[in-house]
Amino acid sequence: MRINLKVQELTLQYPAYTVLDGVEFSIEKGEMVALLGANGAGKSTLLRALTRSLAPARGAVLLDDCDLRKLTQKEISRTMAVVPQNTGVDFDFTVEDVVLMGRFPYLGRFQKESRTDREIAREAMEMTGVADLAARSAATLSGGERQRVIIARALCQQPELLLLDEPTANLDISYQSTLLELAVTLNRQKGITVIAAIHDLNLATQFFDRFLLLAQGRLLAAGSAEEVITPENIQLSYGVQAVVFRHPLHGRLQVSVPSRRENGPRAPGPGSAAAAECTLPAVHVIGGGAESIQALDALREAGARLSVGPVTAQDSSFQYARFFHLPVVEIMPFSPISEAAQHEHLALLQQADLVVVPPIAFGPGNLVNLESVLQAARQGKKVIVMEPESAPDRDYTGGKAQAAVQELLAAGAEGVPDTAGLIQRLTKK
Amino acid sequence: MHRRKTIFLMIIIMALALSFLLGVGSGAVAIGWRDIAALVLLEPLARLGLAPGPEAEIPAVTRSIVMQLRLPRVLLASAVGASLAVAGAAFQGLFRNPMADPFVVGVSSGAALGAVMAMVLGQTFSLLGFGTVPLFAFGGGVLTIFLVYNMARIGKTVPVMTLLLAGIAVSAFLSALVSLLTYFAGDELHRVVFWMMGGLGGATWLRVQVMVPYAAAGFICIFMFARELNAMLMGEETARHLGVNTEWVKRVLLVGASLLVAASVSTSGIIGFVGLAVPHLVRLVAGPDHRYLLPASALLGAALLIAADTLARTVIAPTELPVGIITALVGAPLFIYLLRTHKRLRYFSNLE
Repeated sequence: MRINLKVQELTLQYPAYTVLDGVEFSIEKGEMVALLGANGAGKSTLLRALTRSLAPARGAVLLDDCDLRKLTQKEISRTMAVVPQNTGVDFDFTVEDVVLMGRFPYLGRFQKESRTDREIAREAMEMTGVADLAARSAATLSGGERQRVIIARALCQQPELLLLDEPTANLDISYQSTLLELAVTLNRQKGITVIAAIHDLNLATQFFDRFLLLAQGRLLAAGSAEEVITPENIQLSYGVQAVVFRHPLHGRLQVSVPSRRENGPRAPGPGSAAAAECTLPAVHVIGGGAESIQALDALREAGARLSVGPVTAQDSSFQYARFFHLPVVEIMPFSPISEAAQHEHLALLQQADLVVVPPIAFGPGNLVNLESVLQAARQGKKVIVMEPESAPDRDYTGGKAQAAVQELLAAGAEGVPDTAGLIQRLTKK
Repeated sequence: MHRRKTIFLMIIIMALALSFLLGVGSGAVAIGWRDIAALVLLEPLARLGLAPGPEAEIPAVTRSIVMQLRLPRVLLASAVGASLAVAGAAFQGLFRNPMADPFVVGVSSGAALGAVMAMVLGQTFSLLGFGTVPLFAFGGGVLTIFLVYNMARIGKTVPVMTLLLAGIAVSAFLSALVSLLTYFAGDELHRVVFWMMGGLGGATWLRVQVMVPYAAAGFICIFMFARELNAMLMGEETARHLGVNTEWVKRVLLVGASLLVAASVSTSGIIGFVGLAVPHLVRLVAGPDHRYLLPASALLGAALLIAADTLARTVIAPTELPVGIITALVGAPLFIYLLRTHKRLRYFSNLE
């Protein structure tokens, strides 16, 4: 495979400030590359160096093994087309006029656009879905339309390489995927190499194959999504703690960054050294699905030390517990609770000042957890049952779970109507 | 749009023909269009053997008024009007700024300083038949543009915004020098002030002969880069991505437009408003494509300046008004009216 673009030890400096520091990579023909990195990491600068808008202090950019500096502007433009971040057109050129400007690198000084040029423009407009707008003034288009007009202009240059600078930055979610799907189509059908600086990691993993991650002007990682998009790399480049998981629909990696509040200092888990000096209550929450997460999150925000009770690794409350380093009892999916796990669970119940039963569904698999809590309650453990009156709707055990809830209340457990009630109950203590 | 452009171009050409006839025909002695046609069209054609000779002899007085006085004046007016309009269009495109006019980078101030120096210092010599005033004016204008260009230069590049600001600053400085000299002008004061108002009173064939090649050279320079100018309107970086060698384009356009301005100012003083308003007028009707805008502006600029000059010399005849007064007095209200009624004039609004 022919090497299309090669960057050698690229270093770029502004006065008293190094923006790119020894960046090196090569991109082969037909690749679909996402350029990632935090604001100020050097993405735009790298793109501008690739197009010769900025001159490097050291190193070189090679286009098909030829130094960019040795090529004329027209030669570069026949190989490489750029879609800038700001696609504003202030003058009322028609859409067709704007797209035809893409033929500039092929036209001699006194040459008029030929029929072939117009056909190329027409084809480019059809590909990007703006052919109907050909006679419209480009100044009157919406952001999404304008972006596609500018891509049509880029296609008119018949490039081998298409550079996109934050192509989705100003678009709504429908245009974002339309646009990146278009980029994929161009890549597959025309063999155009696509390089895009992109902020949205989740869109990037969905549409790109290869990733370059910049941090502080250096290339931190390069390769597949699995190699580049890891919590460690994200911590290093963006400075945030993130969860990386697979999307339930397409299976690509996805990144989610919990809000700052959740990234803040955590209450220590029960049994830890800090816990001994902590005055906040240790709370054990019976796990299972979104309902338990709501309770967990509210409790954690209130400052409680938490632990989570038997859940499978696929359960969202398990991932929650992992992210916040909470003690959690893990069980195998589709199997009854093992002896070891049951033992572990009882130990956590023992350590807790308070046990919370969120409004989760109960079936034959987790009825045993309710029974464990009942046992603890009878030994004098404080228990709060959320939404006890809706228990019959969540009972898939033929009345056993509902009966257990009633017994719990009889044994001294308190019922609260919702999460707010739970927190109120907790802070009153 | 295409039809609209063709019709507009035909209207401009008719306006030019009409203003030509008016310009040559009106004055202290009125001359009919038949005589004008015979003198400027049929006679040269007959001389080339392409048309029969004139039927009736044209009086010698008429001939001399047309050939010695009015024709050079009308031709000079058209060359100056076209130059200013094209220079204005080029600067507006280059700077992507609606306020740019031919004088924006300070060429006019430099030329004015040269002219005023020549008048105040009272040096009189002539070179190739030119007096000191046009020579000094031309030199001042050309020097200024080199000064501004080099002040704005950072390494090999010249950012247009820096160029614009350097132009404004240099222009202000030179204008102050002009005021200073004017203050000490003494007996020459009247002449200095009159020159700066702009006028075509000194039109001779010699001036036409010098102005026309300059204008032609400048036009060719700028027209050749019409497509590049269109790309530059998309922003400099985008233009580069499209394959435009922007630094080269800027240099050529700057030099071309400045030559047009320096030549115009040195022959006829500072005539305002034509260079600002004409390109806007054309854009309003026919859009921003420079391949049309530049030639159309040239023709319309020529037509309007001939008309304004004709008005200037007939409105309070035998006294002649400086033509710069007419262009601003009539042009400004018209321009403001267009600005109020046509929102499209504001399409420069979203500049980065």
